[in-house]
Amino acid sequence: MTDDGPSTRTVLLALAVVTVAAVAPTLVAARPANEIPVEEDPPDAEALAEPAGDAWGRVPAADVALASAESSVPNAEDTSVEAVTVRAAQTDGSLFVRLSWDDATADAFTPGAENRTPDVTTFWDAAAIQLPANTSAHPGIAMGSDRTMVNVWYWSAPNTSQELLAGGPGTTTPVGDPAVQTSASYEDGTWHVVFERTLQVDDAGENRTTIEGERDVDVALAVWNGSNAERSGQKAVSEWQYFPLGPGAEGPPYATILWIVAGLAIAVVIVATVLGVQRT
Amino acid sequence: MSSDSQETETETQTGTESGAGATVELADGVEHQVAMVMDLNKCIGCQTCTVACKTLWTEGGGREYMYWNNVETKPGRGYPRDWEEKGGGFESAEQANQEDVHGEREVGELPSAEDWGRPWEFNHEDVMYDGSDESLRPQGPEPEWGPNWDEDQGAGEFPNSYYFYLPRICNHCTHPSCAEACPRKALYKREEDGIVLVDQERCRGYRYCVEGCPYNKVHFNVLSKKSEKCIFCYPRKEAEGPDDEVRPPACATECPPQLRLVGFLDDEDGPIYKLVEEWEVALRLHPEFHTEPNVYYVPPFAPPQHDDEGETVGVERIPRTYLEELFGEQVHEALDTIERERERVERGGESELMELLTTTDMAEQYRLEAFE
Ligand code: SF4
Ligand code: SF4
Repeated sequence: MTDDGPSTRTVLLALAVVTVAAVAPTLVAARPANEIPVEEDPPDAEALAEPAGDAWGRVPAADVALASAESSVPNAEDTSVEAVTVRAAQTDGSLFVRLSWDDATADAFTPGAENRTPDVTTFWDAAAIQLPANTSAHPGIAMGSDRTMVNVWYWSAPNTSQELLAGGPGTTTPVGDPAVQTSASYEDGTWHVVFERTLQVDDAGENRTTIEGERDVDVALAVWNGSNAERSGQKAVSEWQYFPLGPGAEGPPYATILWIVAGLAIAVVIVATVLGVQRT
Repeated sequence: MSSDSQETETETQTGTESGAGATVELADGVEHQVAMVMDLNKCIGCQTCTVACKTLWTEGGGREYMYWNNVETKPGRGYPRDWEEKGGGFESAEQANQEDVHGEREVGELPSAEDWGRPWEFNHEDVMYDGSDESLRPQGPEPEWGPNWDEDQGAGEFPNSYYFYLPRICNHCTHPSCAEACPRKALYKREEDGIVLVDQERCRGYRYCVEGCPYNKVHFNVLSKKSEKCIFCYPRKEAEGPDDEVRPPACATECPPQLRLVGFLDDEDGPIYKLVEEWEVALRLHPEFHTEPNVYYVPPFAPPQHDDEGETVGVERIPRTYLEELFGEQVHEALDTIERERERVERGGESELMELLTTTDMAEQYRLEAFE
């Protein structure tokens, strides 16, 4: 060992620290910004259909920003919901997605109040999940086009659900025999709406999105605030996100990060070894 | 907004060439256009038309509040309340600085349930069958407005007060702003006759049509969550009844004074064409909305004003300015023409116009089979 020994060790140590410091935060926030994690078989999976149930507490959340959709309908730029919290979980048979957002007024055609004369100016709160009908295509965010169709799971207060097919704005058409169910709850100014889609469907890939773990699934979200007369293209929407449902539970971003870490570690070891050999 | 299917190249009828036999321009892709002329001088405000329509089409299922045909007193706030001020339709070409027939679509206001008037439940059962001493009256909260609330109120001061009745249905416009307002193209004009309908499969209850129609003739059904409107009794027109007879809309056939003419605007042998295009005495209501209605009105006359002694003075009772507000500038010429022709007949002369306006020949009055 020579005089310059400690300084070499310091350099090596510093290198290692820098490496860890650079890589560690990436590991912690390993999820890319537009990924919505999907929890596999969470505990109490049977309770996932309950919108405010405890089962959802154990499912990781993604906060997704919303902004007014581009649309030609009047007042399209006037929307009120700015973010939606998304949680997703998968069981053997179904994909569950829960959307939660704040809305000070529940605009629902309340069961039990049917005898009250309904109001012609009432618009109902609503939410929707948009997926490419064919997961290998990349439809435009504004409801796709006639060649790149989208599948839309639609919920409207208090509890109507529809499965829709669309090929551009103004073209939504209900798909017969829906494979999507919804349930909703409104508590303390927050809506929780659970969408449940059966994994196995007959016409997957044509009118219905394939969710079979073969590839990631793009997803976009929309929320309407009824008391602001939001309907149609006057809606708060997200950019495209994705569910990492493709091969490998960890998904490609994790693998990349692991390779980088491994590569850097190997580099450090080589440098250290070379320096050590040179000095002996 | 794309609106190709509803885009028209129709030109407004300027009405400067009386009797010149100008051919009618219809909406793009429409073969013939149904039309109706209502002679306001004959309306007695009996609401038989309203009831005929209601019992046929809007009795229940979320339609309780709807009157596809309504009759309102003018001057008056109308049905729904203040509909004339709620906007909709199109700007004029000048307003929009365009060379076109009209400008951009204007977004209107959605009338409230109170503006339409809530359907009242009456204590019929109690009064008629259970021997109650109560008077027959709407149950629940005291109503503060309803269709025809200001019936016969009118305007002016005794002894020169005035009013008249204005029956209204959907105008099955040549350029329907209701249809253009719909982002889903759920409203459409039928090719064969220009009747404007709401496709109940396509409608998703957005109500852009309700606020887009300046005449407020689209209604929202809260139970089905879809929009509905006057269908010009098309099943009757298509002889779908048990006797296979072609029948005009019920509002027309049931009218005691038979003031409505029903046919096609482009039927050049029919009275509608003659009254609208040749004599130019049947006018569009609020032409400034630029939807080009196909219901036309013969404007009303009233006896001249009286002085305090009851003597007739040479001043018109219904101010021309008010009629001009409703029917546009053309109303002056129309009224003058009718007056002139009436005098001609009074002097023992003949007048095709007076014949047309007073016919009792049903085959002339209802010409829905003109193109068959
Ligand atoms: S009157 Fe109104 S509802 Fe009827 S066609 Fe015209 S714009 Fe449409
Ligand atoms: S039935 Fe005829 S007279 Fe009676 S209100 Fe209707 S249009 Fe007027």
